[in-house]
Amino acid sequence: MSGFFWGALPYIAFTTLIVGTAYRYWTGERGWSTKSSEFLAKDSLKVPIWLFHLGLVMAFGGHVIGILIPKAITDGVGISEHLYHIIALGGGIPAGILFLGGFFLLMRRRFDNPRMKVNTSTSDGWIYLVLGLTIITGFGGTLLNAVGLLGDEFNYRECISPWFRSVLAMSPDVSLMSDAPIIFKCHVLLAMLTMIMFPFTRLVHCLSLPFEMFLRSPIVYRRK
Amino acid sequence: MKIKAQVCMVMNLDKCIGCHTCSITCKNVWTNRPGAEYMYFNNVETKPGIGYPKNWEDQEHWKGGWELDGGDLVLKTGSKLGRILKLFYHPEQPEMDDYYEPWTYDYETLITSPRKKHQPVARPRSLITQQRMEIKWGPNWNDDLAGGDDVRQDINLKRIGEEITLEFHDIFMKYLPRNCNHCLNPACVAACPSGAIYKREEDGVVLVNQDICRGWRHCVPACPYKKVYYNWKTNKAEKCTFCFPRLENGLPSVCTDTCVGRIRYMGVLLYDMNAVLDAAKTSEPKMIYAQMLGLIKDPNDPTVIESARREGVSEAVLDAAKVSPVYQLIKGWNLALPLHPEFRTLPMVWYIPPLSPIAKKFEDKVYLPRSEAMRIPLAYLAELFTAGNTDIIMRTLQRLLDMRTVMRRKEVGEALPQGLEFDAYEYEKMYKLLAIAKYSDRIKLPAGLQGKTHEQLRELQGTAGYACPGGFC
Repeated sequence: MSGFFWGALPYIAFTTLIVGTAYRYWTGERGWSTKSSEFLAKDSLKVPIWLFHLGLVMAFGGHVIGILIPKAITDGVGISEHLYHIIALGGGIPAGILFLGGFFLLMRRRFDNPRMKVNTSTSDGWIYLVLGLTIITGFGGTLLNAVGLLGDEFNYRECISPWFRSVLAMSPDVSLMSDAPIIFKCHVLLAMLTMIMFPFTRLVHCLSLPFEMFLRSPIVYRRK
Repeated sequence: MKIKAQVCMVMNLDKCIGCHTCSITCKNVWTNRPGAEYMYFNNVETKPGIGYPKNWEDQEHWKGGWELDGGDLVLKTGSKLGRILKLFYHPEQPEMDDYYEPWTYDYETLITSPRKKHQPVARPRSLITQQRMEIKWGPNWNDDLAGGDDVRQDINLKRIGEEITLEFHDIFMKYLPRNCNHCLNPACVAACPSGAIYKREEDGVVLVNQDICRGWRHCVPACPYKKVYYNWKTNKAEKCTFCFPRLENGLPSVCTDTCVGRIRYMGVLLYDMNAVLDAAKTSEPKMIYAQMLGLIKDPNDPTVIESARREGVSEAVLDAAKVSPVYQLIKGWNLALPLHPEFRTLPMVWYIPPLSPIAKKFEDKVYLPRSEAMRIPLAYLAELFTAGNTDIIMRTLQRLLDMRTVMRRKEVGEALPQGLEFDAYEYEKMYKLLAIAKYSDRIKLPAGLQGKTHEQLRELQGTAGYACPGGFC
């Protein structure tokens, strides 16, 4: 079973993410949208949307650093394990608070307001559930690890990160994941589930950040 | 000179009776779908009044349109960097309550109710939440000056410092039908982060590409006329299309076709695209109208025709431009004026300001008062149509009054008054176009803009629209 979870599922997730997104783009671009609900409930959006997206960007950056940079490199440049831990928690805890806090406020807004309810699709409901559990397990695991409840010997940079890099290198080392605490295993599985669902939900809007706007002339009054 | 064709509309407000037929027929054709219930691509407002959405003319609040920043033309909504930050939460985006919450009535209770002492009542039900609701605001809440204090909040009134008194003999009102102005310098097009809004090559109609739109909704606040709407169901922007499927077949928009008062005129204008930016940058707002007139070129001028041909304007369009009723009204007689030219989008729906009600006071025993003695204050009309330039309003109204005087004297056999601007023949032409013109005189649109046959167009029926194919909505 662990062979499937840590050896096959990551590739299924990545493939679904890429192929599914391409499929959605070619067949269903008419429905590709931010699904903004500012029109239906404006005031309750003002702060939470910033908390959520800011937390998301910080958490994403933290994951990139924590997973993609091998421990050997940070050791090499003289960052001790203790110092790394302080830096990681110093960024990770505020990120988690913003991310989870923003998510909570956005969910309260969405399910408290009768106008918002009619604009919540089934796919929205599922992705909120999975995304919410992903954030909770990730933040919860980080906090438990910080206070030492996951055992002294656990260091995700010695099991989860190398495993992820082995997946990227197309030779998954399943045994690396066997020692990870259950909460982090759940976090990784939920993250993969998020990737699988991504193409078919509103999350695709993150691929549409309008950078081409900066390349366009500021005044466009006719094509030619 | 770079000549392009623009399909354009003129509304003769003197004849608008405020019946909302244009709004209803437009709604039945375009916005009777879930997510679009609140939208009126065409609506009729009573002026004074705060309109739809509430106070849409107040650009200090909504930041719509363009402004000059040291001689440069910039969107009032902010720089590109600032606008990127507004992708998440847009402080100037109107929300549903700025328009109104759409509703229907529980009509079925009228039929299914058991026998009772009192008649059954069809109570309002929200079209959004499907729950019972209390109606607090509607799309024409200020109709015929209803709504009391709201009417006094009209920003044009505030600007001219006029208080609407409750004295009956001083009160005034007029109707203002509004649809998308298909501007020459559309702010919505410039503001769209995804590049989904475009001004069509062949006729200048401004459209939203429903595939490319990502729902960043920057077009909504950027349009100073608030004529781009956000569909909360499909999560895309929608707007008046000038009924382009009809235009392509030489037919006018539905609002024009069904207008009971026959106030609407549609036709083609030829304009110099290279001069658009300079006109929009005119430093003095009161002069923008004159600059707009300068953009519009004589369709009989050979150099204009030659330039238009170079730009690929078809012969059918050139022929339509030569007989264009809107050219005559806008440039020929200077009767039609743009709505709020100070927004600098160079709107292409023009309005002939209203004279009526003619008599200011019963005691003035004259057949026609001077234009400045009209019941609707000149300054108020100037706020609407000339960025406060009362001279232009006075000249326009005087021409309309002169036309009436000439026609009356001709009818009763009196000598024409002295000092007329045009000769009698010209006033007669004016009268014919304004008062008794037939459908075919009011509407001169070239067919076959798209070069598709009727069979090809029929095959396309039902394949395009606002629905969401493939799900995921």
